[in-house]
Amino acid sequence: MAITKFDQHAMAAAFSEAGEPETAREILKDTGAQKKQPQAHHQAKKPYLSTVILGVLSLTAYYYVFSNEKLVTDVFTRGGIYAIWPLGTALFVSFIHGAFGSNLLTVLGLEAKKSH
Amino acid sequence: MRKFLIVLIIAGFLAPLLSSPAFAAGPPPKDILKGVFTQVDAQQRTVSFTKDGGEVMTLTLPEKMALEEVSLNKKVMVSLDTHAGPGVIKEVDRMFMDMTTSKVVALLLVGMIGGLLSGFIGSGGAFVLTPAMMSLGVPGAVAVATNMCHKFPKALVGTYKRFKYGQVDLKLAAVMGVTATIGVQLGIQMQKYILNTYGNAGSNLYVSVIFVAVLVLVGGYVFFDAYKLARGDGGEKVSKLALRLQKMELWPMMEFKVAKVRISAWVTVPVGLCTGLLAATIAVGGFVGVPGMIYVVGASAMVASATELGIAFIMGAWGSVQWGISGLIDIRLALLLLSTSLIGVQLGALGTTYVKDYMIKLVMASVMLVVAVSRGAMIPGYLAALNLRAPLDHGMATFLDGLSFWTLVAALGLSGIIITIAMVVGMMKDRAEKKVLTAVSHG
Repeated sequence: MAITKFDQHAMAAAFSEAGEPETAREILKDTGAQKKQPQAHHQAKKPYLSTVILGVLSLTAYYYVFSNEKLVTDVFTRGGIYAIWPLGTALFVSFIHGAFGSNLLTVLGLEAKKSH
Repeated sequence: MRKFLIVLIIAGFLAPLLSSPAFAAGPPPKDILKGVFTQVDAQQRTVSFTKDGGEVMTLTLPEKMALEEVSLNKKVMVSLDTHAGPGVIKEVDRMFMDMTTSKVVALLLVGMIGGLLSGFIGSGGAFVLTPAMMSLGVPGAVAVATNMCHKFPKALVGTYKRFKYGQVDLKLAAVMGVTATIGVQLGIQMQKYILNTYGNAGSNLYVSVIFVAVLVLVGGYVFFDAYKLARGDGGEKVSKLALRLQKMELWPMMEFKVAKVRISAWVTVPVGLCTGLLAATIAVGGFVGVPGMIYVVGASAMVASATELGIAFIMGAWGSVQWGISGLIDIRLALLLLSTSLIGVQLGALGTTYVKDYMIKLVMASVMLVVAVSRGAMIPGYLAALNLRAPLDHGMATFLDGLSFWTLVAALGLSGIIITIAMVVGMMKDRAEKKVLTAVSHG
């Protein structure tokens, strides 16, 4: 039979009343650990969906630029205020494609070292 | 302190406005016409040229230029020969090269390794990207502009990543970035003076000599330091010079919390200015900025290389605005480079968390020394052009040109290999440690 949270609390109270507070604490700590476990599992979940979405967005942006090569190269090099086009595109790509790259590395299991 | 920082930032933004528009590696050329040739008159040797904006002009072809060299309806950059008369063409460059699979693959590869290097040592890629693009047929000005436009988003992503790892000192990046921007203005003035006094060959010789001298001296010292650290425990010690300078209580004092340094602005400002001066001269300011932050300011190699990315972003963004206004950015090339470099820069950034401090110094020193060889190979040609030595025969000139380009490629390849090996070894060690920890906690 599985031990429910109520049983655990009741056991902890019993041990506490019997003059063994340390054991009671241990029993309650286990409950805490059980609670945290699914959260830790959740954190380790890899961002597959966002990688795919960002990848598709990035690919679409690239497709649009390269399928309209003539228009893009003409407008983007007019100079003056038109400078906003190449700079804006570079920034936009850095956000979308940069986020895609970050997620891709996480999916591939390449993450920064965490201090022990 | 805050007042000083505000004044510094305002000065940084005003300085470029007071002088000519400038950025690392020289200002955008002013006497260039952009547009398309629409018609050729073979008898008169004239061409109809529609400038950007719609104005139609008739230009005269120079004698040395064949009619076949004029490609109609393709965007070109035309420079005029003002000495030969009004509207006489001096040179024509196709602005946008045709993309082929091999060119795309080359750009993706160079972008990836350049990004990796940038994420790891804070700077890099520019020294090989611009010549690589030029060798693919991109005009020099477009190659510089495109490199600049690809550099600042890459630096932004790299800065963000390394900031998350707690390695970027934003305040140091702001101070260095602004002072380096001012340094660029000074560098350009110096370049202009040399160009006017000694001509193109003199200017090239000056750039090469500075390049080789700085890279050999600084790169050699960084290599020696990395070697000493590698033989010891690998832990970093603050240089004696930096410790002495930090003790100097000269107003205004600045505190950099991430770099864990309290130092006078009279030290940080000159380091920033020198970074800018070098950026204007050899287009790779980081080769003096990072060692400057390590040995003069007293930051760790980890913090210095991360902070350099912030500086590269500030300088790159400013330069990109200038080049963008001149309309010389080839966004196709910039995007192709970004497609791999944005991943490479993040990989390089996370790689720094697995290696010891001396590894960053080792990679940087190796790159600097190989790049010095590449530039050194160009010096005999410039000396010959100034009649300071006998002219080079054709075979020798071709050999030196090839040597110069391929050593650059080797520098990039070498750094990519060192970083990958260091990262893989670091990751394997980390996994082994984790396994031991898990075994201990379970056993």
